[in-house]
Amino acid sequence: MKTLTALKRAGLLAVCLCAGEALADARLEARRHFRNGMSLIAQKQYEEGIAELEAAYAIKPHPNVLFNIARAYQDAGQPLAALDVYQRYLATNPPDAATVRPIVVALEQKLKDAEAQAAAPQQDTSALPMPPPPASVQTQQQLAALLERLERAVERAEAVPAGPAALPGLAPGGATPASGDDAASGADLGAVPYEERVVTASRRAQSSLEAPNATTVITAEDIRLSGATTLPELLRRVPGADVMALGVGSANVSLRGFNQRIANKVLVLVDGRTEYQDFLGLTIWSSIPIGLEEIERIEVIRGPGSALYGANAMLGVVNIITRAPGTGPRAQFTVTGGTGNTAAGSFVSHGASGGLRYRAAAGYSQTDKWSRDYDGGLPDITLRGPDPDLGARGARGSLSAEYTFAEGRKVGLSGGVNRFTTEIYPPGLLRNYFIDGLNAFAKGDVELGPLKLKTFWNHISSDAGPQYEPTGQRSLVTSLSSNLFNAELLFARDFELGGIHQLNVGVEGRLKRVAWGDYLGPLREQVHTAFFVQDDWRIVEPLSLVASYRVDRHPLLNLGRPGLAHSPRISALFKPLENHAFRASAASAFREPTFLESYTQLTVPVPGVNGASSLTTGNQQLRPERLTAFELGWRGEFPELGIDLDVAAYQNTVRDLIGLSAVRRLPPGQSYDPGTGSFLLGTSSFVNEDAIYTARGAEAGITLAPVDGLGLKLSASLQDITSDRESADECGPCNQAPQFRLYGGLTYRSRADLEFGVDAAYTSASTWIEREPAAADPTRIDLVSNPLRAYTVVNARVGYMAVKDTVTVALVGSHLGGAHSQHPLGNRIERRVYATLTVTP
Amino acid sequence: MSRPTLSWKRAAGGLVLASLLAVGCESPPVVPTADVRQSTRTARIDGHLVVNSRARGNVVVFLYDANRPPPPQGTGRPITFTVVPSERVFGPALTGGSAGPFVAPFSFSLVPAGRYMLRGFIDVEDCGTEAGAYCRHPDFNPWYGVTGEPNAGDVGGAAVDPTTGRPLVLEVATNEAGQPQPLTGVTVSFSDAARVLRDRPTFQVAQGDPLMGSGPKTLRLQPLVIHDGVMDQRPDGFAVSYVDANNDGIPDDANNDGIPDLWPRVVVRKLAADGSNLLDENDLNRDGVPDVGGVDYVRADTGAVDGQPDVVVLAAGLVPDGPIAALTDEHGNPRMEGAIVPELQVVVRPQALDARVPENPVPLRELPRGRYAVVLIQPSGQTWRVPNELAPALASGLGLPAVESQAFYLEVP
Repeated sequence: MKTLTALKRAGLLAVCLCAGEALADARLEARRHFRNGMSLIAQKQYEEGIAELEAAYAIKPHPNVLFNIARAYQDAGQPLAALDVYQRYLATNPPDAATVRPIVVALEQKLKDAEAQAAAPQQDTSALPMPPPPASVQTQQQLAALLERLERAVERAEAVPAGPAALPGLAPGGATPASGDDAASGADLGAVPYEERVVTASRRAQSSLEAPNATTVITAEDIRLSGATTLPELLRRVPGADVMALGVGSANVSLRGFNQRIANKVLVLVDGRTEYQDFLGLTIWSSIPIGLEEIERIEVIRGPGSALYGANAMLGVVNIITRAPGTGPRAQFTVTGGTGNTAAGSFVSHGASGGLRYRAAAGYSQTDKWSRDYDGGLPDITLRGPDPDLGARGARGSLSAEYTFAEGRKVGLSGGVNRFTTEIYPPGLLRNYFIDGLNAFAKGDVELGPLKLKTFWNHISSDAGPQYEPTGQRSLVTSLSSNLFNAELLFARDFELGGIHQLNVGVEGRLKRVAWGDYLGPLREQVHTAFFVQDDWRIVEPLSLVASYRVDRHPLLNLGRPGLAHSPRISALFKPLENHAFRASAASAFREPTFLESYTQLTVPVPGVNGASSLTTGNQQLRPERLTAFELGWRGEFPELGIDLDVAAYQNTVRDLIGLSAVRRLPPGQSYDPGTGSFLLGTSSFVNEDAIYTARGAEAGITLAPVDGLGLKLSASLQDITSDRESADECGPCNQAPQFRLYGGLTYRSRADLEFGVDAAYTSASTWIEREPAAADPTRIDLVSNPLRAYTVVNARVGYMAVKDTVTVALVGSHLGGAHSQHPLGNRIERRVYATLTVTP
Repeated sequence: MSRPTLSWKRAAGGLVLASLLAVGCESPPVVPTADVRQSTRTARIDGHLVVNSRARGNVVVFLYDANRPPPPQGTGRPITFTVVPSERVFGPALTGGSAGPFVAPFSFSLVPAGRYMLRGFIDVEDCGTEAGAYCRHPDFNPWYGVTGEPNAGDVGGAAVDPTTGRPLVLEVATNEAGQPQPLTGVTVSFSDAARVLRDRPTFQVAQGDPLMGSGPKTLRLQPLVIHDGVMDQRPDGFAVSYVDANNDGIPDDANNDGIPDLWPRVVVRKLAADGSNLLDENDLNRDGVPDVGGVDYVRADTGAVDGQPDVVVLAAGLVPDGPIAALTDEHGNPRMEGAIVPELQVVVRPQALDARVPENPVPLRELPRGRYAVVLIQPSGQTWRVPNELAPALASGLGLPAVESQAFYLEVP
């Protein structure tokens, strides 16, 4: 590089780094300002303290901060300023408005009195301007109640630097978020400003410190600054997450090992609604009818979640929480273009009228594959699917509306549809499939105080089949249709009995209907029911216990007859210090057999032997895959330093893994299959493995916003999987799981105009054991060991706010670390560059 | 509020420029994955079956390497096969007695460049009308040696030169880039004239002593009727005939030893060392090609190994007295149409040969120790081999009837 060029670039970087007022992780940075401000106020340094609170509010508006600013002004003897901020607070329509209004009235009265006094002959003004006494007995009672609730809030508040005074008033009502899975706006709206709140770990809003599982939250800001275009890419930042992209629209995500083609052990939810496709046991990420711009945050539970969510929440839960209707911009347009024929556009609109709030969104996206397995025009291979170059395409729309009748009484309706095309990579001898169809949902929620009724319908219908098939060979292209109906009734109640209890109870019913052509035979239908209960018992102040239990009734679990799956969980939380929680938990979880695993009768052509097939059969007597997990964790927050820490160590014991058996010869009289006109080489059935796998690992993550303008996220995970039966060389799950992963992300955001983000995710080498027909004799199926080299995924984004709060342009580079594969049978992943324009008029 | 429109225009312009620079319109590169199939270059052979027959049944077509032709020309095994179901061949005439012609497409996928031959047969399902005829059910099964060939009543077919009637050698050629090109429009003909007359030459070795000594060993082969489970072989003896490759009506004597050449032919092939299976030595993957790195024996002529894996056979042939007597009429003239004999005697000489090049077998210095299989080959191409999957140790696990005599092998101690 020439010196002049280097100097220019260095100069540009310096200019950028020095530009304006900078922000890093907004929540951490705002929290740091808030904590420092409250500390200064407690030391009666009102002016400096208020400035810090204002800075926090500017970074990330939170109504409770306004309340505290108002109180500080009031305590500082500035009633006029206090009145102004109180009025701003009331304008946010806080739940405790009725309590705050008398204060405002009193202040107004005080100001009037002051004006009158000023007009009157001079009086003694030496006394400090204090709020007038409450106007009535009722107001006094309200304030007393307020103080009592404040004390509780303060107990949960983050640490304040040593000082004589407790926090001088947090908003009592504190905009406590609605409990439940759909508390989409719960993040940072808790009583404690800028506290990280999660809803997935306990199906109610709570501080991350109180979550009974290791939890990672990816915020909307993380999403935006990352420049990521797919959901799985975002999950690389989660400690212990194993993200394996085989195609540009096809990724498999697992947590703490056991990833595979068709990863089926992590439950993916969108606002509590499952996106796990039961017919195959996977999440088709590209089919989800939600755009990244609609997401408020993603909560990832790293560990078993069956105690609350039932089947398939075996290794974890990914809950994608969309922005609550009416809480976003009135209109926002985004347009993206880039290499790989990438084009995307989206529109989001939020609105509100009275008690009605809505969010409407539409979007389109398309992108080519990173690489193709075969060229076109080959004499031996026929390309199937809508477009051999296309990696993913989707045209989606969604509408979400919510009507609030009164506090705690509301109705929500939402629906969405995505006309999508993408790839999936099925197991066994099958290779990459196209899937071209429609994914739709409708959801209805009713909240009546402690009772919630949640219903939804999921639908997917599509054509699907191998993207490449030998010419002249029988085709496996087929169509499928899946419908899932779900209803859930939840009840939540707090009570005191030897401590404070927070009780959650729920019942659930689910009907699944899957029609899948030659793969499953006739229409398959299953009815599932479940009951769960959870009690969060705060025994004494530093110690609490969370006990959960769920029982699921599955129609096949008892050797083909209806059976029960029990999923208990117990967690102990110990908080010896403010902002530090130690966690110990034991849990059980399960994955139910998919429709494919239970019912399939698929004759797979043997490549190159047109008269032969291999029969893959389902097994209705499968036991569920079971997990027993033990976990120790520590979450520590250092608000003044802008640091969050998360450490976890675990041991997962996995039994009854479901896999395909070796191909067994059929009796000679059963070899010919008249349906396909081919001879069956043998049959391979889904079976429970005898081996028991033990995964041990540790994860550590740190998030820092040490100084204005710089945000850092670092995480590392180590894991080792062993088998009690298989040697290290023969153990698929042991070799396929990368032993070491490292993630580092850096963001720099200038409030004025510029944003930078770069992240890198390293995954160590692994070895994949896959089935392949032998090259010399395709009728022999071999287990082939495929080494996969370590790889690093590097993404970067540069954003520029061309018009403040209105127009942003960004340039994003993905997979800048160079070409690599994340699975031996997947695409060779190439660098891509995108440009994005976001307009918020 | 005034907005910095200049910045807006710059940004928009920059975005358009960046987009123009960034947007790529090229197709994704083609990059094979670790799937071994993607690293092979292949084409296909397809065409039509033309059936002129009253027989009904699925049509099985085999693809052979022309350099390793099937019996009776050689001992090659099919590279691959395809099945065209009877419904697709005969359509509405499936239940009628029409002789056709019936035409149906067939295809062989993923065929590498090379020279090939196509053979096939109709796996007949019908009941003969002649006296004593019995019903034949489809009994072909490619996964077992004992069920993998046509039987009496089946109708043979091949891709043949329409003018000479000789088997065609089909070539899948490559273009300049080395990419194999598809071979299309191939016709495989089936006709009642090629109906298989006899069952396979199923036999058992009457003598129980399997040990090969230092001198010639004679084996007495007797026909074996097997009508059990999926097996239905009912030979009434051994069909013997003179070899008359040039169809001149005079028995051939290829080695000029004064003894006319006879059908069936006999091959005594060395088996792999693992006594639990039936694989030939140096052909563990069953592709008919000597395995790279296979066993190499010292040649008799050079006293050294030749660096190539050997296809070891023992010199063997029919004891001609019985067959020739049966093949000679009362006037001393050869019965060129053949005859049936109740027993065959096979003499195995203590001479091992490397038959990697069948036309030029190379004598080996010593008799390689181990097990040897005995194979009979009829002029129809039907074969029978002992030991086979009917050996009791294997049969029960495979769902085949157990026949004790089919466990026989010749052993060189």
